[in-house]
Amino acid sequence: MLAFVARRLVISVGLVWAVASLVFLVIHLIPGDPAELLLSQGGIAPDPAAVEELRERLGLNLPLWQQYVSYLGGLLQGDFGLALQDDHPIVDEIALRLPRTLELVGMAGLISVVFGVPLGVAAALRAGGALDRVFSAAAGLALSIPVFVVGTLTVLVLAQQLKLVPAGGYVPFARDPARHMLLLMMPAGTIAVGLGAVVFRVMRSSVLEVLEREHVRAAQARGVAPATIIRRHVLRNALTPVVTVVALHLGSLLGGTVLVEFVFNWPGLSGYLVRSVEARDYPEVMGIVLVISALFVLLNFLVDLLYAVIDPRVRHG
Amino acid sequence: MRRAKIRPLILPGVLALAIIALAVAAPILPLTDPVRQDVASRLTGPSALHWLGQDEYGRDVLSRIIWGARVSLSVAFAAAAAAAVAGTLLGLLGGYFRGVVELLTVRASEIVLCFPPLLLALLVVTLLGPGAATLVLSLAILFAPGFARVAYAETLSARALDYVTAQQALGAPTARILARTLLPNIAPPLIVQFSLTVAAAMLLESGLSFLGLGVVPPSPSWGLMIRGARSAMEQAPLLLFWPCLALTGTVLVLNLFCDRLRDALDPRGRASGKPGFLGRVLALPPAPQTPATPALLSVEGLTLQVPGPKGPVTVVRDVGFTLAPGETLAIVGESGSGKTLTGLAIMGLLPAAVRPVAGRIMLAGRDGTPRDLLRLPEPELRAMRGRDMAMIFQDPSSSLNPLLRVGAQVGESLRAHGVTDGIRDRVVTLLRQVGLPDPERAAVAYPHELSGGQRQRAMIAAAIANHPRLLLADEPTTALDVTVQAQILTLLAELKRAEGGMGMVFVTHNLAVVAEIADRVAVMYAGEVVEEGPAAEVFAAPRHPYTAALIESTPEGDAERLSAIPGAVPQPWAMPSGCRFAPRCAMAEPACTAAAPAMEETGPRRAARCRRWKEVA
Repeated sequence: MLAFVARRLVISVGLVWAVASLVFLVIHLIPGDPAELLLSQGGIAPDPAAVEELRERLGLNLPLWQQYVSYLGGLLQGDFGLALQDDHPIVDEIALRLPRTLELVGMAGLISVVFGVPLGVAAALRAGGALDRVFSAAAGLALSIPVFVVGTLTVLVLAQQLKLVPAGGYVPFARDPARHMLLLMMPAGTIAVGLGAVVFRVMRSSVLEVLEREHVRAAQARGVAPATIIRRHVLRNALTPVVTVVALHLGSLLGGTVLVEFVFNWPGLSGYLVRSVEARDYPEVMGIVLVISALFVLLNFLVDLLYAVIDPRVRHG
Repeated sequence: MRRAKIRPLILPGVLALAIIALAVAAPILPLTDPVRQDVASRLTGPSALHWLGQDEYGRDVLSRIIWGARVSLSVAFAAAAAAAVAGTLLGLLGGYFRGVVELLTVRASEIVLCFPPLLLALLVVTLLGPGAATLVLSLAILFAPGFARVAYAETLSARALDYVTAQQALGAPTARILARTLLPNIAPPLIVQFSLTVAAAMLLESGLSFLGLGVVPPSPSWGLMIRGARSAMEQAPLLLFWPCLALTGTVLVLNLFCDRLRDALDPRGRASGKPGFLGRVLALPPAPQTPATPALLSVEGLTLQVPGPKGPVTVVRDVGFTLAPGETLAIVGESGSGKTLTGLAIMGLLPAAVRPVAGRIMLAGRDGTPRDLLRLPEPELRAMRGRDMAMIFQDPSSSLNPLLRVGAQVGESLRAHGVTDGIRDRVVTLLRQVGLPDPERAAVAYPHELSGGQRQRAMIAAAIANHPRLLLADEPTTALDVTVQAQILTLLAELKRAEGGMGMVFVTHNLAVVAEIADRVAVMYAGEVVEEGPAAEVFAAPRHPYTAALIESTPEGDAERLSAIPGAVPQPWAMPSGCRFAPRCAMAEPACTAAAPAMEETGPRRAARCRRWKEVA
């Protein structure tokens, strides 16, 4: 098991390095000068002196390999550089906003699993029945509604029309726990509409597939009670694809809560990213993309560990 | 594709075409200019001139919705088409050439999948600035790896096919093989992928436009319209409703079309009307009580059906045999002869689609009372499974749950039948009894840590844990090495001696195995028993032409493929009238095809289903 963890860890660190290098290369190898790109607005050529000054400030006049080394060196010390717009250290802003996004994504994942897994199992066990049809149709609809439509309609109905909840915003947990949770549940619930439908579908088809497997029939042939078969021989075996899919979606949510954060005015990492993209503040964009990608890699590492917990073959393999 | 498969496609297909037609026809429809502003009547409700009202700049909402469809659909289709072309090319090359090419095409494109999709799109927008062209490009980059994966996987399976190999041997140019032979063959899953991608691209496009990073105003786009309506949500909530409805409706139609298309293209078809795991239905009315037979097991007139497109198809017909305590009966037949279904019917473990429609299966349990298993309620039948009758399966690597320790699975047999104390010790004893070298270690091992033969021994231990009266073995040695096969057969013979009076039904296609272990044999062909009797007598003097041909044509004893008998086993839905073997039978005469022959007694406890049995041999 320890060797397994160590091997996965080495691979993960390698992947983070590869992502960091890739982000660096993408920014530096695209046609056009980042400094020039940054300063040009509406097709008007920028002042050459200003461009030169910016190049100097960003170290763009150095050879590529020197830039690369100092970039990696900075990353190792947790230095992501300064934002172009206000010279603010990027890492501070990320440290402030990242936990909020993680909280949002985590809560959305939790809601999705809490609803999606049991409903998926129930639908699979009664495949073709009324319950299965109703929930499968609902999942199909949920998957077709864009997340920002769900969010906007939620705000419209719950906040504007019924005035049950605030229209969005953020309050730190320490200041007002109840209000914090209320404000968290709206965007998290909105994400969970689509994600829960995905979990439901995957769980349903996974259970159906496991039910067809020979070892379930063998357990039946031993006279094991249906409830025991479902618990011991179906659920755990059916979980692996669900873990994969949930992890994949949580990973893409790390950078994909943009829309929900925008609709509910949730000051997370994604909003920061959109602002940086709009301002073309590329050190900021690089920093955020890097953090999100590193988290993505970390998530995959955790998923591998989870596989090993679920499936003994992975541990020994 | 059959018509029944196309029918579900009609509704979403027509709706999708209607939406596309509306978008294409936008310029010739009598619509107001979608960008003409009329600030004086901003946020006005529906009127005769503006059916859906006017937006925050006084523009006509209906017109903007229809023109918006044009923008959203063209971006989505362009992106999906670009992704399809690029991805398919990469996948095709990678799958055909493998090696370095695969690394440079498929694996390289998968780097994209390491990034969260929206993040990557934002990155591209940062670099190139917003706009429809950027949007198409970034969406194409996002979706190309998906196509590459599908095309790669399909190419891998298609390139090994005979006609591809044949073309290579004929010296056809590679480009021609790729374009003319492989591409059409891998097209169906790519079509599904394409419609999936269009829906996903619409979602992303509207999302980016909603953020103001996609389509540039004042072009109408559903995402932009929702963005605009948000700010006026208090005064005019309906304004928000229309674009939301258009967007959701379109994506829903596309997704629905996609689901149905996938079902239609899936060669296995949709498992329709399949009752769930909890829904074993008893189909049979009670049978008249007849005096109990002295046999351990007696199967009479067993008939099984599966639903087909043109009504039920009979897969097993009028099967009968008897088994006395301590006897071993081998059911022999080719693949598809119904021998496995017969075995599963005894256990009451038939697949959900297969229904018993007639017959009786009488088993004398441990208490000596014969019961009709076909009419026993599920809870009572479950109590008998693993106690009065047990089963071992063909492939021990799939019949053991890979995630549970071997000992836990053997112990399950005991636990399910009321044993609570000393399970651990009894499991070890059982594992020792079936000849596992280190039973203590095997009990805590996972199935993958044992060899195939050891796994089958563990399965046998679980089966005999409660001293069953009847042991069913469905090809228990087929998946094993030849040397291990012999050991397992020896073990089964030993166990039968140890468990006095235990009967065994051994389903196999291997005649050598039958000769070695069976007291009696039932030969099955096309869902019927064609001959039954003592094994030695049947081998020495077969009374059915099929049995005779079987023995003659398989010097190695392997009857899975019968090349020596001309013709093939008829399909269940196209059974010949009269004798089912007649079309392949050298002795067939007109009377054989006129009426189905009945089982005729040919000697003491021997019977054959042939009119001319006296002339065989």
